Amino acid sequence: MPDWKKIVREELGSLPLSNGRKDEVVEELAQQLESAYEEAVAQGINEQEALRRSLEQFKDWEKLRGELFHSVEGTRLPVWEQKGLFSPRRWPVWAALGLALLFLAAPAFRQALAILPVPGSDPTASGPRIFSDRALRRLELSGDKQRYARALAFVALHSPKEDDLRAVNAAEKAIALDPQLTWIAAKVSHATYLYPGYDPHPWVERLKAWDPENAYPYILEADANIHSAWESRWAKYNAATPDLRQALAAEPGWREPMEKAFAAPRIDAYNTQTFALDRQVLQEQGLDRPDILIVNTWAQPIPDLTAMKMYAQILLRDVGASAEKAGHPEDALAAYRSVAQFGERLQVASASVVFMQDILANRLQQEACEKMLPVLRRQGRTQEASVVEGTLAGLVQADPAKKSWPSFSGEASRKRSARIVLFSGAFVMLLALVTAAWVIFLIALKWKPDLSRALNRLASALCVAPPLLLLACAVLFLGYYPYALPIAQYTSAQDLRQSFGPFIMNAYWSLDLQFSDVWLVRMFWPSVWGAVLALAAAVLLWLLARRQRPDDTRPA
Amino acid sequence: MPYMAPTPDTELKKGNAELLILALLEDKARHGYEIGKLIAERSEGVLRFHIASLYPLLYRLERRGWLKGEWEPAGGRRRRFYRLTHTGRKILGEQRTRWRAFSGAVDRIVEVRHA
Repeated sequence: MPDWKKIVREELGSLPLSNGRKDEVVEELAQQLESAYEEAVAQGINEQEALRRSLEQFKDWEKLRGELFHSVEGTRLPVWEQKGLFSPRRWPVWAALGLALLFLAAPAFRQALAILPVPGSDPTASGPRIFSDRALRRLELSGDKQRYARALAFVALHSPKEDDLRAVNAAEKAIALDPQLTWIAAKVSHATYLYPGYDPHPWVERLKAWDPENAYPYILEADANIHSAWESRWAKYNAATPDLRQALAAEPGWREPMEKAFAAPRIDAYNTQTFALDRQVLQEQGLDRPDILIVNTWAQPIPDLTAMKMYAQILLRDVGASAEKAGHPEDALAAYRSVAQFGERLQVASASVVFMQDILANRLQQEACEKMLPVLRRQGRTQEASVVEGTLAGLVQADPAKKSWPSFSGEASRKRSARIVLFSGAFVMLLALVTAAWVIFLIALKWKPDLSRALNRLASALCVAPPLLLLACAVLFLGYYPYALPIAQYTSAQDLRQSFGPFIMNAYWSLDLQFSDVWLVRMFWPSVWGAVLALAAAVLLWLLARRQRPDDTRPA
Repeated sequence: MPYMAPTPDTELKKGNAELLILALLEDKARHGYEIGKLIAERSEGVLRFHIASLYPLLYRLERRGWLKGEWEPAGGRRRRFYRLTHTGRKILGEQRTRWRAFSGAVDRIVEVRHA
């Protein structure tokens, strides 16, 4: 005769009832087995078959264990006693958590997490989000200590507005260590620096002496000359009014440097140098972050486009028009050519990186050509006129303002990727928090199993968090992977803007999406993709669950 | 759970299982093995219990206060006998009334076809 109680105890395993109650349950189930066995034997069935039939009454002992506890205690088994597929005693849930954590080993995944914009903040703003005050101070101290000019130059370029003095000091030290970095003087040459007693002129002079053929220092000088005197007067004028043009033209401190700027053989806002410096310092700081690099290019100061536009209008509408009226077509053409040539130089300097600069460069050339054409025709210079006409047609066709802004944002695949990354990233964050809470609950319940029934129920329910976290991590990784280039692989700011820019801009813009934009139109394909992945995961889980519990509990 | 071939509805089966047990205990106290056997015998094999479901159900009804289980000697050993409590008896009355109404309604419909 088998030891029925022993069989029941072994099959049931741990059943966290009070000792007396558990013994009663074991005894009662053992009697059920014994009675069925005895009855079978009494019917003439051999002992082996009788034993098999008796034991067949309880096929799924694990299910029985859970139901017995639930019936007696009125609640589910404590989470650490459960043996379901996603209970803490089984491997799938820990495997899912391990795999989710393993994603952190992938640089692309870490980069995807790092670039996620924080709702409520302005992700396109440089400054505190990227380098905190403390981080910049640490970088400056390290640059001072190691006498490393490029770190100091980085501090000079990226100090926030409220800390202009630090930027100026850092620039001074960086240039003293490496005069090749004198171009960073362009940053601190701005007349808008606020700290008391600041005078941009010495910086402008230093830049002019170092880079005399560049128009940029002259534009900075023009602004520096009138900034304080004109601060209250700017507000009086509409930027497009002839009054403002005339008033500015009457200011020699502004007009003369602008004249030199328009005559300078090139214009360079040091975009290339800034990009190289930013990339190098970010790499040295262990920040492989294309989003920071691209935001730095967005935040980079550009030459005063309003001043350039204003001076061009003075040449086109005042100087040129007056010369035409006075019967001096060559003087008029010289003024128009000056604007057209400046526009060309401005376009070259932009290198398609600064969108507004591209627009202005194109528009200045267009207007200059439009002014030149009738003058040339009146003079019978048809050959020159046809060249200008061809140039004008090309400019109209290439007008960047007629394209969507920015033109590459229309690429549907990048929009989808951006939304997938954004939404899966949000889920990764949320599920990581839930998983962390689950782990804390588990630890607490391991320490004290009867701590709280509600906590046990919650911990049981949250067992699905690690598998869901794994799914969200996989979606985030796959969504971001095509854009996960190390910053070292971007050859230029233009390259960065063209390949990474559309993706990150769509991700940032997604923060402002309306509900209907997200769910009804733009999220259609991402939703389909997410649903397919979820379905695949559900099928996988179902198959796993089937393997874990082969016993079927259909009615007899 | 009792297996009732034409009625797959889970709630119905669950309610019926409770009714069957309460009804079997109306006149006398019985132990679990006896209850399982009686259901199979009296229904002539039409209704059968998954024995694995019987004991959790007994414990649930006991926790609700509809049954009371006590160990008593029987056949040279002790057995846990279940008997109806006052509440259990009241619930049995209610469930029986509902069942009669239900089965009567079904009968009337089914008989109409043969009329």
